Amino acid sequence: MAAIAKRKKEKITEPKVKITWKEVKRQKTLLIWSAFIVLYGIIFCYLPLGGWLMAFQNYRPKEGLLHSQFVGLAKFRQLFSDATFIRVIRNTLAMGVINLAATFIMAIVFAILLNELKSKGGKKVVQTISYLPHFLSWIIVTGILHDALSGTGIVNEILMNLGILDQPLNFFAHTKYFWPIVAFANVWKETGWNAIIYLSAITSIDPSLYEAASIDGAGRWAKIKYVTLPGIRPTMIILLLMNVGNVLNAGFEVQYLLGNGLVQSVSQTIDIYVLKWGISQNDFAIGTAAGIFKSFVSIVLIMIANQIAKRYGEERLF
Amino acid sequence: MFQKKRKTSIGDRIFVICNTLFMIAFVVITLYPIINTLAISLNDGTDALRGGIYLWPRKFTWKNYITVLQKDNLITGAYISVARTVIGTVLALSANAVLAFIVSRKRFMFKKQLSFFWVVTMYVNGGMIPTFLLYKSLGLTNSFWVYVVPGMFSAFNMLVIRTYMNGIPESLEESAQLDGAGYTTIFLKIISPLCKPVYATVALFVAVGQWNSWFDAMLYNRMSANLTTLQYELMKLLSSVTNQGSSAEAMKNAAGAVTPTSVRAAATILTMLPIVCLYPFLQRYFVTGLTIGGVKE
Amino acid sequence: MKRKKMVALLLLTAMTTAAFAGTETVMADEEVKEFTAFFAVPGSEINDDNEIQQMIAQITGAKCKETWLTGQTAQEAVGTLIAGGEYPDMIDGGDGMAQLYDAGALIALDDYIDDYPNIKEFLTEEEWDKLRQDDGHIYWIQQFGNIYGDEKATTHNDEAFWIQTRVLEWAEYPEITTMDQYFNLLEEYNEANPTMEDGTANIPYTILCDDWRYFCLENAPQFLDGYPNDGSVIVDPEELKIIDYNTTPTAKRYFQKLNEEYQKGIIDPESFTQTYDEYIAKLSTGRVLGMIDQWWDFAYTVNDALKQQGLDTAGCNYVPLPITIDEGMTNQWHNSGGTLNVASGLAITTSCEDVEGALQFINDLLSQEVHDLRFWGVEGVDYEVDENDEYYRTEEMRLQSSDTAYKASHTCTYSYFPQYSGTSHDGINAMKPEFQAKEFYDGLSEDVKECFAAYGVETYVEMLGTSEAPGPWYPMYSYSNNMTTSTEGGMAWVKMGEIKHEYLPQVVMADDFESAWENYLSVYEGCNPQAFLDEMQEELDRRMEAAAKYQ
Repeated sequence: MAAIAKRKKEKITEPKVKITWKEVKRQKTLLIWSAFIVLYGIIFCYLPLGGWLMAFQNYRPKEGLLHSQFVGLAKFRQLFSDATFIRVIRNTLAMGVINLAATFIMAIVFAILLNELKSKGGKKVVQTISYLPHFLSWIIVTGILHDALSGTGIVNEILMNLGILDQPLNFFAHTKYFWPIVAFANVWKETGWNAIIYLSAITSIDPSLYEAASIDGAGRWAKIKYVTLPGIRPTMIILLLMNVGNVLNAGFEVQYLLGNGLVQSVSQTIDIYVLKWGISQNDFAIGTAAGIFKSFVSIVLIMIANQIAKRYGEERLF
Repeated sequence: MFQKKRKTSIGDRIFVICNTLFMIAFVVITLYPIINTLAISLNDGTDALRGGIYLWPRKFTWKNYITVLQKDNLITGAYISVARTVIGTVLALSANAVLAFIVSRKRFMFKKQLSFFWVVTMYVNGGMIPTFLLYKSLGLTNSFWVYVVPGMFSAFNMLVIRTYMNGIPESLEESAQLDGAGYTTIFLKIISPLCKPVYATVALFVAVGQWNSWFDAMLYNRMSANLTTLQYELMKLLSSVTNQGSSAEAMKNAAGAVTPTSVRAAATILTMLPIVCLYPFLQRYFVTGLTIGGVKE
Repeated sequence: MKRKKMVALLLLTAMTTAAFAGTETVMADEEVKEFTAFFAVPGSEINDDNEIQQMIAQITGAKCKETWLTGQTAQEAVGTLIAGGEYPDMIDGGDGMAQLYDAGALIALDDYIDDYPNIKEFLTEEEWDKLRQDDGHIYWIQQFGNIYGDEKATTHNDEAFWIQTRVLEWAEYPEITTMDQYFNLLEEYNEANPTMEDGTANIPYTILCDDWRYFCLENAPQFLDGYPNDGSVIVDPEELKIIDYNTTPTAKRYFQKLNEEYQKGIIDPESFTQTYDEYIAKLSTGRVLGMIDQWWDFAYTVNDALKQQGLDTAGCNYVPLPITIDEGMTNQWHNSGGTLNVASGLAITTSCEDVEGALQFINDLLSQEVHDLRFWGVEGVDYEVDENDEYYRTEEMRLQSSDTAYKASHTCTYSYFPQYSGTSHDGINAMKPEFQAKEFYDGLSEDVKECFAAYGVETYVEMLGTSEAPGPWYPMYSYSNNMTTSTEGGMAWVKMGEIKHEYLPQVVMADDFESAWENYLSVYEGCNPQAFLDEMQEELDRRMEAAAKYQ
């Protein structure tokens, strides 16, 4: 356990390097590599951001980005004065947060429990099966879910046999079940896949730490708590930080495929809104404006999260 | 000491039982959609329309697979898909490893700025049309390189590798530097060998992404039949047999002896296969722990 | 070490394949011109060595490589094409057609049309004029809904109240002409026969509500009042005024009826949450006694499934009923004449280097010989000819013609190029197999034949009767479908759709219909439907004015 403490300490005391000629010379290789990488990034990731101009225009493909009529903030005003847009932001945020929490926790729990399996063969088999649903398209997964939750589906059957319900419940007709169903669908599809990264992090833990813990008399729980969890902590923090920036990307397909008229007040996300009110109406600017809004929120969120991580001396994004 | 051990072993046993039960439940729940898909893919399409197929096909047929495999251009598509998966994975892995190496050097003067520069790219996006125009002006449209060059660097993969590299003691780097090794040597000879598990993870992510993507083929190489990919061909097949047609004409085009659900199921199983076969080779990096050799602190 | 070598080798192969793939060119037959076309709708791509395509190429000296919409909306696909500035030779932009015109991507066809007799003849002067854009030119040819000679209508391809033949048979084929009679019959039948033979419970009536398919719920009031399918509004043919069918007394009576039947348990409780796939699955089990839908939306898939299970002999096939709100009204579920949707069509783009060649190709595709190849196929392979020169297909040929793989390798309908229905130039056969009377009748199930006989009819269309073609404005949906949120009316139109999606199911399910209906109406009014109706009225006036010179 002393080793862990030492590891932690290392992180806190980062060396402050002053930019001097000597340093530049010393880091010549790194700097040259970085220059190429930055050049690449500017071309492929930042240059297309010129497309953001579109949000301030009545963009028409014929005129292109350079000659379309400039309308200033009109598109943003249009978005934020629409009560529906405010509602879809709420939906997106809610589903984003619920999904994030559910998938994040499940992946870690699964990775740790899998690691505790004694039999190597069992481990391999379970793991191979666990990530397979990742390859199913949403249309297949939602189809199965619809089946299972239908009036004659297995869920209703079980609930009725247990006496919890006395007549079949139409889960998709009630707004209150929609978010949990979406969260469950995400967990179902992605737990195994998301766990891969934690499993690889677990392998990086020095086995001698477990030995040391055993000698100190640590039981299984203690080992998980004092060795495994701290070992994958940096990975957990980094993924959490990244995903915090993604809460507004709660998705399109699941909600689109599972939603219906009765629950549309809770099922529509920003992306669905953009398709309906932007692209299907030949209005590309609305989509871009919504995209800028999402980017802005994401970056603010990760900056805040990053600051918090910094304060607690955790792994950070930048 | 002795007694303590026996005590934990009882707790242990309960834990092992619970854990095993949990894993069995987990396997059943996750395996179900796969088996269901498999059953539907092996069932007659029109019959499957009625629903009610769970674990076993009701009316067995290979027809769905035959339909998928008879698709024109599948061989070309397969070549290109393999090529883009192999080349794309090698390029992306090397690129992200180098980037992660740079930003995980504690002395590096711009490491924060460089990280930030990439993290931002995860959340911003210029949109489809500007990106299209850019690729066109770079001569990437109607070319193989559009599959592997634009997505080479990714902040996500960089961060995953960086996190791992951060866990490697700095002392290794320092002692190598004392021996006169440059950054290139440190990266290739010291850090990379230790990063095998995380490289395997990232390689898997990239490979799966490359293998499954089809949108770029449609958007940038629609007119070049010889650059088509397997997934794009399958997508075309699926959207042509789809019963989501929005007019009488579209539905007439689509109506056939196989139905979308079953063909989709067959296509899904077929694309899953290569990844399932590849996985065991990567898996040993996840299941067996690696000892970080010579890093005793 | 060995593994490293393997990886290197694999890499090398992959690299070389990729490099070659980039430069490899397909040697085209010098004689045959090759065009490209993109259709912004989903469709099936045919194989490069498709047999009939080759035959057509030999006759016309040209072929066309068609690509279809995949995974994008029509607007997105067209938007990227315009941004890139490169087009295929020919295009149908679907919902993105207006954008293409707007971007100047299309070639005006008016100067050319006269040189191509088949194209010229394809539409009447009046119809060509309807296709003129605001600059006075014609840019596209609407491919569908064009009838040559006798109409030969057999199948009612459009919307109707459908009912299973077993219900009609049980009631000894009564005359059903009103909505109340229809639901009474369903109730009575369901009471007497709550289950199918195998014990599965019947579902008396279901409503498809998935996304844009919710027309099965919402647009019945226009038909119940005896108007044709203008889609978004009713047009009063006397006064030439736009009427909103959402708020008519008939609309209220219709939804009240649905509400009543819902409370009685006649309407499927899963109606408003089912997806299209689930709906099709439900119909395929034969459990559903009746519903409103368009024929093409369910029949192609469901009929096959019913047949395969032998449920056609149990009377599970659907026939349409001529239903209106009150007795003694004429219904317009089925109208004679084609429907010209002027909003889209086949166009030639500015990227096409051989406009004359492309038009010649389109022209040649309309010749009877090629038209037969496109839709009937090859004589002796896809159809036979009897002693009266009538075409027919054997059961085997019929099966083969619907096989996906066979279609890809053999059949080439050029399905988004101009085409006829109706009667062939020989005056005997139908332009397409599905309209051939004998061919159609042979394909019918026994239960449908019996039902037809009982009512003294021979086709689905005769079950409903045929009304005169509506006035020259028809159909108004070709305008409302292309409205965008850039106008107030367009904005209202999208909002109305959203509101109806959410509130109409609630109205049907409500315990207290009156208050739910009031609530719906007040929210509906909040969308400013008048703005939409005003714009529709304007368009109606414009269309009538344009048509005036032909009367």
